[in-house]
Amino acid sequence: MSGTSSQPLMLAVPSKGRLMDQVEARFARAGLVLRKPGDARGYRGAIEGLAGVEVSFLSSSEIVRQLRTGEVQLGITGEDLVREAVADADARIEFLHPLGIGRADVVVAVPAYWIDVATMASLEEAATRFRRRHGRRMLVATKYMNLTRRFFAAHGIADYRLVESLGATEGAPASGAAELIVDITTTGATLKANGLRVLEDGIMLRSEANLMASRGAAPALDAAASAAKAALLRRLGA
Amino acid sequence: MTAGRATSTDDGSARWIEALNQQAAEIMAVFARAGFEPIAPDIIQPADVFLDLIGEELRGRTYVFSDPDGAELCLRPDLTVPAARIYQARNGMTGATARYCYNGVIFRYQELGADIARPREFRQAGLESFADADPARAEAEVVALTLEAIRTAGLRAFRLHVGDIGLMHALLAAVDMPERWRAQLRHQFWRPEAFRRCLARLSGPRHGAEHVPQDLLARLPSGRPKDAEAIVARHLDQHGLTVAGTRSVREIAAHLLELAEDAHAPALPGRIVDLFEAYLSIRAPASAATERVRALSARHGIDITAALSAFDARLALVAAEGVDVANAEFSAGFGRTFEYYSGFVFEVLAPALAEATPIGGGGRYDRLVEAMGATRPVPAVGAAIHTERLLLAVRGGRP
Repeated sequence: MSGTSSQPLMLAVPSKGRLMDQVEARFARAGLVLRKPGDARGYRGAIEGLAGVEVSFLSSSEIVRQLRTGEVQLGITGEDLVREAVADADARIEFLHPLGIGRADVVVAVPAYWIDVATMASLEEAATRFRRRHGRRMLVATKYMNLTRRFFAAHGIADYRLVESLGATEGAPASGAAELIVDITTTGATLKANGLRVLEDGIMLRSEANLMASRGAAPALDAAASAAKAALLRRLGA
Repeated sequence: MTAGRATSTDDGSARWIEALNQQAAEIMAVFARAGFEPIAPDIIQPADVFLDLIGEELRGRTYVFSDPDGAELCLRPDLTVPAARIYQARNGMTGATARYCYNGVIFRYQELGADIARPREFRQAGLESFADADPARAEAEVVALTLEAIRTAGLRAFRLHVGDIGLMHALLAAVDMPERWRAQLRHQFWRPEAFRRCLARLSGPRHGAEHVPQDLLARLPSGRPKDAEAIVARHLDQHGLTVAGTRSVREIAAHLLELAEDAHAPALPGRIVDLFEAYLSIRAPASAATERVRALSARHGIDITAALSAFDARLALVAAEGVDVANAEFSAGFGRTFEYYSGFVFEVLAPALAEATPIGGGGRYDRLVEAMGATRPVPAVGAAIHTERLLLAVRGGRP
């Protein structure tokens, strides 16, 4: 970074997909327009109506990574992605303001016909019996390997193995690829359609997109950047 | 925070490594002289073996990765499991006696950041004894050799901390309760929070299952699993619940039947909860431990003489090896961290280092080799020294 010129405030936002559309709409409601780069110079944009903020359009995983390292000072992405990918998330990333978009719950779901399993405690019992009977641990399909591990540990569940699943997770129990799943859901309709049921105390995280700040290695904000950050928060209603 | 090298000193100095190598040579000489064969297990291990034995918690403290072929591997997080794998490969079929020793680097992810007492890579020097015909003697020998190695490295002042998972198993076996409750408590013993919750549930007013359809539970005939299965199948059918998955209706019915029996069984009496809590809070000099446990169990009308005698006999053997074990600290809750421990456990603490960072320890793990696929249980006991901590302690806490 060059010596005396002031460091611009860098905001990372999703570069594609449904969440990008929702972020644009959310900004529009606040009277802000995300201006994407019109030429081939890269992925840097700006916010019309708010000076001093540079916008970096990135993939979700890259936003999480850059928030963790401090390459960007601000970012917008789902809380679920941050808590999954960053150990000790609260120490490294500050959740500034929930944006009311990208809402989804990360849940533990079992086949609905498991009428003996309604809570995490009863899942623990079933898992122990399963291991004894089948000679292997129950398989849990998920893309949330870390969140699941922590949540299950907190509930004293040890007799399980994780199977990484990067798509169509809800089909895993019926196909025999896993016994149960941890997945994201908004209405629960997909889970229901696949014959699955969320456990009563199986909501691991109620996630939504947040405006977040890195506590990482980036240099402290100068006066102009601090003012821009405050203005952005104000406009988003924080 | 923890970028780059995070070994004990992190200054890249060869002097520290040279001192460790020197110390390791002295320790290994002690073990080899006693007849333990040096082994050198692979640093990269199949993750599966560890995950099956330890569970997914392993991922929270181990470097697990995939190779280009898709195989899931890990950097070994300890040397006991790799040593047991070697035993299993060589002697798994015959069950012959084997005694191994090792010195090598192991790797642990430190969630709160690596530091000098909790490095993410460090060397363990240890010994493992498999299928010894005299288990108590093997335990005494492992303790004595561990302490001799520590003394040889130059540490004079240290404390010994002992425990015995076997006493808890004996208590559990002696207390009157349904067998399936015993199995649950035995299973949750390793997770103190879950164990407490389990006790609370079994002793509470609603120790049955309040979350399953009560009308269905009430209809399940006790002791008749086939009929219960038919009733459950009909219930599923009536409620439009399709069986699509690996758990069978028989399995679900069996669990429900147990829950129904739980609901009818009288709750676990509060005095039994008190017994477990009182036992797990016992801390005493090792020489007084069995008297304390005996008094407690006598108050509850429980006799675990055999387990207590075994504990005392082992202490006598350890003392005969020249170890001041009478003044070792016994705590009943000690050893609950590693699920493969099955009996005697011990650790060695140095005054220069914190209580939470022992310089060595080990114990009996009779079920590990069998869990890895041996055709019969293989009694085993072993111990490992955290050599970086030992060197730190020898130097008064400074590298």
